Amino acid sequence: MGEFKVHRVRFFNYVPSGIRCVAYNNQSNRLAVSRTDGTVEIYNLSANYFQEKFFPGHESRATEALCWAEGQRLFSAGLNGEIMEYDLQALNIKYAMDAFGGPIWSMAASPSGSQLLVGCEDGSVKLFQITPDKIQFERNFDRQKSRILSLSWHPSGTHIAAGSIDYISVFDVKSGSAVHKMIVDRQYMGASKRKCIVWGVAFLSDGTVISVDSAGKVQFWDSATGTLVKSHLIANADVQSIAVADQEDSFVVGTAEGTVFHFQLVPVTSNSNEKQWVRTKPFQHHTHDVRTVAHSPTALISGGTDTHLVIRPLMEKVEVKNYDAALRKITFPHRCLISCSKKRQLLLFQFAHHLELWRLGSTVATGKNGDTLPLSKNADHLLHLKTKGPENIICSCISPCGSWIAYSTVSRFFLYRLNYEHDNISLKRVSKMPAFLRCALQILFSEDSTKLFVASNQGALHIVQLSGGSFKHLHAFQPQSGTVEAMCLLAVSPDGHWLAASGTSAGVHVYDVKQLKLHCTVPAYNFPVTAMAIAPNTNNLVIAHSDQQVFEYSIPDKQYTDWSRTVQKQGFHHLWLQRDTPITHISFHPKRPMHILLHDAYMFCIIDKSLPLPNDKTLLYNPFPPTNESDVVRRRTAHAFKISKIYKPLLFMDLLDERTLVAVERPLDDIIAQLPPPIKKKKFGT
Amino acid sequence: MVQLRPRASRAPASAEAMVDEGQPASEEEEAEHGLLLGQPSSGAAAEPLEEDEEGDDEFDDEAPEELTFASAQAEAREEERRVRETVRRDKTLLKEKRKRREELFIEQKKRKLLPDTILEKLTTASQTNIKKSPGKAKEVNLQKKNEDCEKGNDSKKVKVQKVQSVSQNKSYLAVRLKDQDLRDSRQQAAQAFIHNSLYGPGTNRTTVNKFLSLANKRLPVKRAAVQFLNNAWGIQKKQNAKRFKRRWMVRKMKTKK
Repeated sequence: MGEFKVHRVRFFNYVPSGIRCVAYNNQSNRLAVSRTDGTVEIYNLSANYFQEKFFPGHESRATEALCWAEGQRLFSAGLNGEIMEYDLQALNIKYAMDAFGGPIWSMAASPSGSQLLVGCEDGSVKLFQITPDKIQFERNFDRQKSRILSLSWHPSGTHIAAGSIDYISVFDVKSGSAVHKMIVDRQYMGASKRKCIVWGVAFLSDGTVISVDSAGKVQFWDSATGTLVKSHLIANADVQSIAVADQEDSFVVGTAEGTVFHFQLVPVTSNSNEKQWVRTKPFQHHTHDVRTVAHSPTALISGGTDTHLVIRPLMEKVEVKNYDAALRKITFPHRCLISCSKKRQLLLFQFAHHLELWRLGSTVATGKNGDTLPLSKNADHLLHLKTKGPENIICSCISPCGSWIAYSTVSRFFLYRLNYEHDNISLKRVSKMPAFLRCALQILFSEDSTKLFVASNQGALHIVQLSGGSFKHLHAFQPQSGTVEAMCLLAVSPDGHWLAASGTSAGVHVYDVKQLKLHCTVPAYNFPVTAMAIAPNTNNLVIAHSDQQVFEYSIPDKQYTDWSRTVQKQGFHHLWLQRDTPITHISFHPKRPMHILLHDAYMFCIIDKSLPLPNDKTLLYNPFPPTNESDVVRRRTAHAFKISKIYKPLLFMDLLDERTLVAVERPLDDIIAQLPPPIKKKKFGT
Repeated sequence: MVQLRPRASRAPASAEAMVDEGQPASEEEEAEHGLLLGQPSSGAAAEPLEEDEEGDDEFDDEAPEELTFASAQAEAREEERRVRETVRRDKTLLKEKRKRREELFIEQKKRKLLPDTILEKLTTASQTNIKKSPGKAKEVNLQKKNEDCEKGNDSKKVKVQKVQSVSQNKSYLAVRLKDQDLRDSRQQAAQAFIHNSLYGPGTNRTTVNKFLSLANKRLPVKRAAVQFLNNAWGIQKKQNAKRFKRRWMVRKMKTKK
C-alpha cells in the first residue's frame, strides 16, 4: 500500500442544524425531513436510508409543519405565514402562498389527501382545497382565542381536533364550528402557573383524541362527550410530538428529555376482547429534545435538536431478522461539503452561509508508522467568504490550481478569482454571471482549471470556459426530452476528455467534452449513486451506490471492466454491505492504477485490484499484518480491501500527492458541544 | 368694629392701589361694550383721592392734590386702552405663530408623500382599469380600499395588496411597508413564544457541558468535566503575550548579532 503522511484536520467547525419536522410517505417509502435552517431533505428509506434530494434553506423560513398530500406532493408551512409546495422533480419551490393568518404553527392533510388544514397564530383554522396545480383557500373555521399549535383529522374526515394553549377543541368539518372544548390540566394532579401547551394531538377512528402537552402528560379524551378518559404522566419535561400508526394499534411520543416512548393497544387479559393502551417501550437515543416523531409500518422515526435522525425498526413488525432491523442513526451529511486544491494544499469548507478557505500546515519531521509529527507551520485560515442574501449555499468548489472559487445559491451563481502573492491572497469577483447557472446542484472544475462544469436543477449541464479573469459559456447539454432530471453528481476525467453526470434515475451519462456530445450511458441501477470518479490513465469510471455496491465502467470500451464483473459475480463481503454510511468520495493514486481510495463516515479503504477478493469467510477488517509474520500467512490473508478505521468520523479524505493524505474528521463531541441546552437530569450521587 | 383708617407705608398703598386698579380695569374689560363711566366711577374716581389722602398722612401737611374727575377718567381710559392693545397684539402674534406651524407641517407632509406625478398615474390607472374591464369590479374595489386604507384602517382585515405597476416598463412594484413590518414583528413574537416555552424561565435546562459530565461524576474513578478547560478565557491577553514574545525574540536576535 505504501507509506503516507496524513494531515489530520479537525478545524472544520461543522454543526448541522436541528431537525424540526418529519413526514413519512407510505406509498413511496420516503421520509421528508425539515431542519431549523429551512432545509428540507428527502430520504429514500428503501435505498438504504440515503438522502437523495434536498431543498436548500432560507434564513426567513422557519418551518413548523411538513406534510405529504395525495399524489406525492409535499407541503410545508412556517412562521413566515406561507404555505409552500415543493417540486420534487425540478428540486425547487413551486410556489409560496400566504395564508393571511399570521405565523402558521401546524398543518395537516386530510385522510383523502385533497384538503389541507392549517392552524395559525391568530387562532383561526383555515381549510384549503388542493387543486392539481395549486392550493385554494376554501373557508375558515370558528376562530379560537389562542394559537392553534397542533391539528389532527379524524380518519373519516368529518371532525378535527385542534390543540391550543390550555385547551383542545374539536371541530365539525362541515359546519366549521367548534363542537367541544376540552380544558387541559396545567399539571398532572396539581396546579401550576405555567400554561399548558398542547404540542400534539391525534384523532383515532373510534373517537378518541390523544393529546401530549408541556406538562409531560399523555391524555386520552372521548370526543363524543368531550371528557377525559385516561391520563398518563410519562416525563418531567414537555412531551413534544406524537405519531400514530396507520392500523391505530400503536403510537409513539417523543419527550424533551430525548426519550421516545412506544404505546401499544394490548388486550387486557390474554383472551379478552377488551383492549387498552399501555406504554411498552422507552428508547433513549437522543440527548436533546425530540421535536418530531413519525410511525412507519415497521419502524419508529424520531428527530430533534441533537440533529440525529434515528430510525428504529420494530422487531415484531420486521419479517426477516437481519441487519436491516438494526437501529439507524443518520448524523453526518450524505454529500461532500469539502473540496480540495491539491497543488496548493488548500481546503474549502462549505457552511450554510459562508465558505472558509484553509491552507494545510506542514512538517519537516519524519517518523515511523503511527507517530504524530509536530507541525512546523500551522494551518492557516486564509479566507472567510460570506454569502450575500438570506439563502443557503447549495454547493461550492475550488479549482485544483486554487485560483478559482465557485459557489451557488438558489438565485445566484458566484465565481471568484484568487491571486496569491507571497503569503497573501486577494479575491476578485467575476461579475455578470449568466442567470441559467443559478441553483446549481453540483459544480466541478477540470483538472487544468480551464473549464467549469455546472449541473443545474433544470436538468441541463453547462460547460463554461475560464481564461484569465473572465469566462465564456461554451455549451449546454440538455436533458433527454420529456424528463427533467436533476443532475446530482459530476465527475471529470483528469485529461479533461470525459465528463460523467448522474441523474436520479436514468443511469450515469458520460459526455465527450472535446466533441461536445453524449458518449454513452451506464445502465441504470435501482439504487442512487453516492459517489463517482474517473481514474487518471485508464479512464475507468468508478461508481459507488447507496447499497454499498461499487462498479467500475470503462469509458473508452463502453462496458464494465473485467474486475468489476468478477466482483459482481462473487459479491461483496457481507460486512462491507452492512455498513451504515454511504461512500462520499472516491480518489486515485497517480502512480498506482490498481488502487482505488474510497471512504465513508467511519472507515477509509484502499481497494487493490491486483489482490484476490475476500469471500464471506475471510476477515474483512485486517489490521496491519505485523512484519514478523511469515510471508505465507500474509499472502493467504491478504485481500483486495484494505480498510482502516483509525480516523473517524471522517467527513472527507483525499490523496494530496503520492505520499500525503488529508483526512478531515469531525468528532461527535465537538458537534454536541455547540448544541442548545438540554433538559436537566438529576442523577443520584451528583 | 370700627375700621380705622389704615395707617400705611408707601409699599402696601401702592400694592393696594395696583390691585384696585386692576379690578376695575377687568370689570371694564368684561363690560367692554357697555358704558364705562356710568359705573363704579365712584370706585375709580375715589381711589386716587384716597391714595392722596393716605400719602398725605405720612408726609407733612400738604394740601391735597386737586385732581379733577375728568383727568382721572382720562387716565383710567388710557389704562384700559393700553391693556386692550396688549391683549390684541398677543392674540395676533399667537395666530401668526399657529399659521406658520401649520404651513410647516403641510410642507413636511408633502415631502413624505410620493410626487404628484406618480399619484396622478395611480389614479388614472385605476380609472383605466374601470374602463377596461367592468367585470373586474372586485379588483378595483380592493385597490380603492387600499387607497382609502392609507388613512389608517385596521390593517389586520386588509390583505396585502400590491398596487399595480404603473409605468410602461414595469420596473417596480409598490408594496405597503406597514404590512411588511407587521409580518416581521409577528414572526418575531412567534419565535419569542417558542423560545420562552422551551428555553424560558420555568423550564429545567442545563448546559451541555454539565449534561455530558454527569457520567464522569459517577464513574468509579471520577473524571473531570467534558469541557474542563475554558479556551475562551483571556483571548486578548494570550494574543498580546504571543505578539510580545515574537517581538522580544526578534529584538534578542538583533542584539545577539
